Amino acid sequence: MDHLYIVSYDISNAKRWRQLFKTMHGYGEWLQLSVFQCRLGRRRMIEMEAAIGDIVHHREDHVLILDLGPAENVKPHVHSIGKAFEPVRREAVIV
Amino acid sequence: MAENPDLPFIPARMLNEYVYCPRLGYLMWVQGEFAHSADTVDGKLKHRRVDKESRQRLPEAPDDEETIHARSVGLSSALLGITAKIDLVEGEGEVVRPVDYKRGKRPHVAGGVYAPERVQLCAQGLLLREHGFQVDEGFIYFVESRERVGVPFNGELIDETLAAIDGFRESASIGEIPPPLEDSPKCPRCSLVGICLPDEVRFLSHAGTEPRPIYPHTENGLPLYVQSPRAYVRKAGDTLVVEVEKEKVAAARYGETSQVVLFGNSSLTTPALHECLAREIPVTWLSYGGWFMGHTVGTGHRNVETRTVQYRASFDEEACLKLARRLVAGKIANSRTLLKRNWKGNVEEISPTLDALRRDLRNAFRMRTLDTLLGIEGTAAGRYFENFSGMFKRDENEKIPFDLTTRNRRPPRDPVNAMLSFAYAMLTREWTVTLAAVGLDPYRGFYHQARFGRPALSLDMMEPFRPLIADSTVLMAINNGEVQPDDFIHAAGSCNLSEKGRRSFIAAFERRMSQEVTHPIFRYRISYRRLFEVQARLLVRFLLGEIPNFPVFVTR
Repeated sequence: MDHLYIVSYDISNAKRWRQLFKTMHGYGEWLQLSVFQCRLGRRRMIEMEAAIGDIVHHREDHVLILDLGPAENVKPHVHSIGKAFEPVRREAVIV
Repeated sequence: MAENPDLPFIPARMLNEYVYCPRLGYLMWVQGEFAHSADTVDGKLKHRRVDKESRQRLPEAPDDEETIHARSVGLSSALLGITAKIDLVEGEGEVVRPVDYKRGKRPHVAGGVYAPERVQLCAQGLLLREHGFQVDEGFIYFVESRERVGVPFNGELIDETLAAIDGFRESASIGEIPPPLEDSPKCPRCSLVGICLPDEVRFLSHAGTEPRPIYPHTENGLPLYVQSPRAYVRKAGDTLVVEVEKEKVAAARYGETSQVVLFGNSSLTTPALHECLAREIPVTWLSYGGWFMGHTVGTGHRNVETRTVQYRASFDEEACLKLARRLVAGKIANSRTLLKRNWKGNVEEISPTLDALRRDLRNAFRMRTLDTLLGIEGTAAGRYFENFSGMFKRDENEKIPFDLTTRNRRPPRDPVNAMLSFAYAMLTREWTVTLAAVGLDPYRGFYHQARFGRPALSLDMMEPFRPLIADSTVLMAINNGEVQPDDFIHAAGSCNLSEKGRRSFIAAFERRMSQEVTHPIFRYRISYRRLFEVQARLLVRFLLGEIPNFPVFVTR
C-alpha cells in the first residue's frame, strides 16, 4: 500500500545537491527548497533509498525520510501556513 | 543423466527457485517469466557490490599456496548440466570455499540456512570440484545481520542437489508446468504470485478453499496520455516531460508510468523511447481521432510456450467455439445487467427486453458455428442499443442532452456513437497492451478470426468488458455532465470529440478503470485495471490446460 513521505535533505556539496535534486524528481514532487513529497509503495521506497544512498556522502550529508502514513483516503496532519499543502495524488496524466 | 542434450545448462540460482517451489523454477527458467517485488528489488540492490568482477580471477588450474579471493566467478559443467555465477570464491591453493550473499538476516532454522540456499551453494561447490578444486564446505553470508553460516557438503546434501537437478531437467524437457503449492505460506511473498495465480488455479481446477487475496496487492503504474497535437515528450532524468510550444505542461515519473499513449502528431524523443523500452513501458500510437495504429514494445515477451499454446488452440475449431460462446454470453449478460441497473424509466417498459436478452444468452451456448454465434450477438446488440438512451438522465423537462437511436460507425454520426467508438478504441488498446504484456499474441484470436491489422484476441477478450467499461464510461460522462453537446465537432455527416471533450472523456475512462469490483468467483476486491491482467493470465492457464474452463468476467 502506498505511503506518503516527506523527504528533506541537507547536502554540503553543490554537485551532489543537484544530483539528488534531479534524482528525487523521479520519485516525488518538489515541495520546497530541499524538500520533496513522495507517494510510494514498498518497492519504490526501497528503490528511492538505494538511489539516495548512492548519491549522498554518508558522513557529510543528511537525508530525512518522514513517513506520513497510508496515502489512500487518509488526510495527513499537516499545518501549512501560507500556500496550501496538497498531498500528492495518484492519477493518470492526461495532456 | 542428460535425456535431452539440447537443454541449456540450469543456472544454480534457478535450482534455488526450483527447490523453493518447482512451479516457480519452471515459470522463471523454462517460461522466462520474471516480476520484481519489493524483496527482489532489495536483493538486487544489496547484491550490486558482489556482482562486480574483482581484479583477481579464479586460476585456470589450482596453484600452490596462492590465496584466492575472486568475486563473481562464472563456471559451468556439461557433465552436471548446470552453470553458476558464484558471488565469491575464497581459499588457499587447492582448497576453496564458495560464498553466496543473501540480503536478509540469518534464519533460525536447523542447519542455519534454508534448503534452497543450501542446494544452490552445493551446486556451486560441485562446479568448483569439477574444475579441480577441493571443496568441502561453503558459506552463506547474510547481508543484513552480517553473519556467515557454514554449510558442509556432505553426502546427503550432494544427493539432494543431484536429485533437484534431475527433477528440474525432467519437468523442463517434458514441458509440463508443476502444479501450484497447496495453501503455502510461501506464496504471499513470492514475486511471481500474480503470474502463477496459485489459489485461483487450484480453485478453478477443483473447487477447494477460497483464494486468498494475494494478487491484488502488487503495485503498478498509471498511463500517460498525450493527445494535444503540438505536444513534445522528452526525457528529463527519471521523468517524462510534456511540452507544448516549448512550455512544460506536465510531467510523469517513469517509475509510476504503466504505458505512454500518443494521439496524432504528438511526438516522443528517441532517448525517451529508449528509456521506455528499457523499463518495459509500452508506447501506443493512435491516430488523431483515437484509432489504434500500433504499439512499440521492447524485444517482446520471453515466454514462447504461451504463444505456442495460443496458436495451437486458435487452429482448433472446437476450442475456438467453446471460448467464443463464453465470451459472447459474457457480453450479453453484462449488457443486460447494465441495462437493468441503469434503466431510468418504468420496469415494465424494459422487462420484455431483459427477458429477450436472457433468451439470447441461453441461445449463445447452443450455437454450433461461429457464424450463428455472430448472429446471436448481433440480435442481442440490436436489442440493447435500441434501449441504450433509456439509461440517460433526464432534466426537469424530461429532455436528455444526447440521444441514440441506432449504433453507427465509420464514421460515427452523432455524439453518443462518437463516444462509444472512442471508448471501444481505448478498450482495444488496453487489451492489446495487457495481452502483449502477459506473452500472448494480440493478433491471433478465437472468436474474431485473424484479419489483416486487426488485434483479434484483444477484440475477443474485450467483449465482456464493452458494457462494463466502455458503455458505462459513456453513461457516466453523459449523466454526470462531464461532456456537453459543445464538446463535439461535426463535419460532413460525421461527429467527433473535440480536444477538450476527449480529455474529460479519457479522465472518466481512467476513473472507471481504477474502480474496484468484487470478483464474482474469487470474492476479492480488485480494480478493473488489474482485473484485465488477471483475466489475461487466466486465459494463459486455460490454454495451457491447467484449468478446465476460461472464467469469463460477469458482474452480478
